Amino acid sequence: MSPPPPPASPTFAEQLERLEEIVRRLESQELDLDESLKLFEEGIERLRAVRERLTAAEAKVKQILGEDFDR
Amino acid sequence: MGAGSVDLFAAASAEGAWTVGEVTRRARAVVEAGLPPLWVRGEVSGFKRWQSGHWYFALRDRTAQLRCVMFARENRRLPAAPADGMQVFAFGRPTVWEEKGELRLTVLELLSTEAGGLWQVAFEKAKAALAKDGLLDPARKRPLPGYAQRIAVITSPDAAALTDIVAVVERRWPVAELLVVPTRVQGDGAEAEICAAFRAIGRIAGLDVVIVGRGGGSKEDLWTFNSERVARAVAAAPVPVISAVGHETDVTLCDLVADYRAATPSAAAAAATPDRAEVLDHLAQVGARLGRAVAGRVDLAGQRVERSLDRLAGTMTLRVERHRHRLAALSGRLDALSPLKILERGYALARDAEDRLLTRVAQFPPGLAFRLRVSDGEVRARVAGP
Repeated sequence: MSPPPPPASPTFAEQLERLEEIVRRLESQELDLDESLKLFEEGIERLRAVRERLTAAEAKVKQILGEDFDR
Repeated sequence: MGAGSVDLFAAASAEGAWTVGEVTRRARAVVEAGLPPLWVRGEVSGFKRWQSGHWYFALRDRTAQLRCVMFARENRRLPAAPADGMQVFAFGRPTVWEEKGELRLTVLELLSTEAGGLWQVAFEKAKAALAKDGLLDPARKRPLPGYAQRIAVITSPDAAALTDIVAVVERRWPVAELLVVPTRVQGDGAEAEICAAFRAIGRIAGLDVVIVGRGGGSKEDLWTFNSERVARAVAAAPVPVISAVGHETDVTLCDLVADYRAATPSAAAAAATPDRAEVLDHLAQVGARLGRAVAGRVDLAGQRVERSLDRLAGTMTLRVERHRHRLAALSGRLDALSPLKILERGYALARDAEDRLLTRVAQFPPGLAFRLRVSDGEVRARVAGP
């Protein structure tokens, strides 16, 4: 068994960061209405995805066995 | 051969002289028979470590000194060598080293009477070496990840520490994946296995944080985590390391070098993860802000549309007004130009049958029938005959 592949992107932190950015930009009220609505839609979609990820998650425990690395 | 068998009378004349070897051999027998293994207290002096790994030194007090050897197979269990001037208890067998004719203590166990003993000496020595390389600098400490997705755990696979860590991560942050790298955490081989585990985690992609540790134990049990090699492996880790070794009162070198020191394995797991309930709360707040922000934006757009409509209406009224005036002026002029107005003044228009306007005498041959348009209607007429 080789070390497991990296987790699917984007990471949870990246998703949250993007959400915060969307809210900040919307709150700045500098965008035109069309852009604002697009951002809002993206925000809602990301919020849903993140919540889903959080509520559906079940911790996975894997053991990296001895033969994976040189002792 | 016992001490009682030495024949003092035979040795009293030159003819009966003993060889050196006979004397030292007998002396050794006497010493070993008369002095059983015992504890000796004294100050270490002239300490030397030989290539073979054996330690040679003397124990002294104000009036005497005793040569000592501690062989490598005994001294390798000790965390550090004693320093000259250190007060120690040595347990050993008194003997005579025949080749040198020296009384000697073969030391089996050595304890320092100073605070913390040899363990403390070893600890301070390794700590100084780490400090010299800047590995204890607080500025080196990296922040822990906010939302770890991959957490490596370097610990014993069948101890309570791992169970505790798994339980905490399952409860707080099941989003995470726990990668357990099993190692021994005490005794022979533990040091090498932990160092190898740190090399192994360097090859795990997307790793956010490492927890290394074990539950409580005796000072000797925890000793692996005071190893300079382990401390250097921790310092070299590519991601932040949380150390949780023993109980709150046991601070190891591993703890000092790690990016974060947790009091227990459970606390380490909590430090490595956010609390799902709190993150969900935060998300609810983000959602509310999102809603408020977009509602505000839509309101703003509505106000703008209203203002624009007002302005538009304003300009329209102005324009209509201006047009109305122009229209009135134009209609006045039109009115003035109307042929009917001219007819009213007594003029008449003559047209022939084909509706052609007759404006010259030549167009009126005798007998021509024509129509006369006057202000209130038409009159049929004929040019009088010749």
